[in-house]
Amino acid sequence: MLNNKKIRMMTKLAVYENKEGKEDIHLSKYYKTDYVRYQVLKSAISATIGYILILVLTFLYKSEYIIQNAVSLDYKTIGIYILGIYIMVITIYGLGSVVIFSLKYDASRKKLTRYFKLLKRLHKIYSDETPES
Amino acid sequence: MMPLLVFRERVKNFYQRYDIYITPIVKFIFAFIAFQTINKQIGYDKRLESLPVVLILSLLSAVTPSAIMVLLAALVTVLHVYSVSPILSIIIVIIMMILYLLFARFTPKLGYVLLAVPILFVLKIPYVIPILLGLVASPIAIIPTGCGIILYFVLQIINTAVSMQVNTSVEDILQLYIFVIDSLTKNRQMIITIIIFAVILLATNFIRKMKFDYAFEISIATGVLTCILGFLVSYLILDKSEQILSMIFGTIISGAIVYVIHFFKLTLDYSGVEYVQFEDDVYYYYVKAVPKITVTTPQMNVKHINVKNIEQDLSKMDTFKHSIDSEDEYDDDDSYSENNDN
Repeated sequence: MLNNKKIRMMTKLAVYENKEGKEDIHLSKYYKTDYVRYQVLKSAISATIGYILILVLTFLYKSEYIIQNAVSLDYKTIGIYILGIYIMVITIYGLGSVVIFSLKYDASRKKLTRYFKLLKRLHKIYSDETPES
Repeated sequence: MMPLLVFRERVKNFYQRYDIYITPIVKFIFAFIAFQTINKQIGYDKRLESLPVVLILSLLSAVTPSAIMVLLAALVTVLHVYSVSPILSIIIVIIMMILYLLFARFTPKLGYVLLAVPILFVLKIPYVIPILLGLVASPIAIIPTGCGIILYFVLQIINTAVSMQVNTSVEDILQLYIFVIDSLTKNRQMIITIIIFAVILLATNFIRKMKFDYAFEISIATGVLTCILGFLVSYLILDKSEQILSMIFGTIISGAIVYVIHFFKLTLDYSGVEYVQFEDDVYYYYVKAVPKITVTTPQMNVKHINVKNIEQDLSKMDTFKHSIDSEDEYDDDDSYSENNDN
């Protein structure tokens, strides 16, 4: 026997799972701290790569000057500058992603509660069904 | 207005029913325009320019997520530049990577903006983007818009750089490279454009969130005005007064386009037909879920307005009647009193 109520519920769940729920369900596999940490790590790495690329570009841009003054350059100050700016960039990106991704996680949790409620109801229908069959 | 509203309702219904076919077709058309524009602007490689290649690429982006289209467009661009100058293509790749790693990866859903901004710049209506995003997105859309503007100007610079005679000696390559970076970092027009676009987006977004009647229409008008004023000032500063006329026309056309999009609002609130499949212990289910069209109210709304009007008219008439009645009563009273007096 087809259980229309169940089918309706399952359809609703499946539509949600296929569309907007995809990301929410993916997020729900993580704990919040794990998720945020993972995202911070990812953005720190990408920021590092981006920073290195910019450094390479500026190095090439100034290469003529650098090669000409290779002996007399103050490497220590340059190094401190590069490191200082790097630390600033990483901090900004790290903190930024902590804020952004915690908000995102909370928002997806909120959306998921409705989904879980429906799931629970479906589960109840199942457990009602099984003893009969 | 009435026939337009009915027309909109028809379009909406049609879209809801055939959403599964229409979306790829629309994407195909967009991709086709995008690839053709790229080919026209920097079509150095004749093989990529041929129609079959463009068709295949457009078809591919029609059936895949929009990120793929952006990626393909980037790839085509790089390959075009590669065919004339490998060095320039490397520079482009590095700039694209920097833009992606530092900015664009935080707004994955707005990735198509990166592609749309340069294309619309070529079509002379880039002003659509900030106004539209001000309406439908949050201020964070400034990031992809800015990246798109940078990409457009990078391509402009590459276009001029390609025409420079390049030998393979290290010195020449370095000079070419320095030229590119120089014209990119000292490009005042680019920076001013980014700032103006950001201001347009913020202004439109700010007005849209206000709670008064016609906030949408007024926010579009605000965006258009901000745009015209901003670029007027910038062109006067940069001494490019010959572009003013095309800018004003472009802005007005952009405003009109945004208004049409807003009128149909297809992307904002629609739920199309869904095909889902699932199973339980006994059956496999292949379900086609069709949203109840009566739930989307516009056509009802039309009726509603009329009904309201009629109701209002009726109530007006009622009060009028009442007043007449009461007057009559008074008259009666008067007559009564008169009678009494008599």
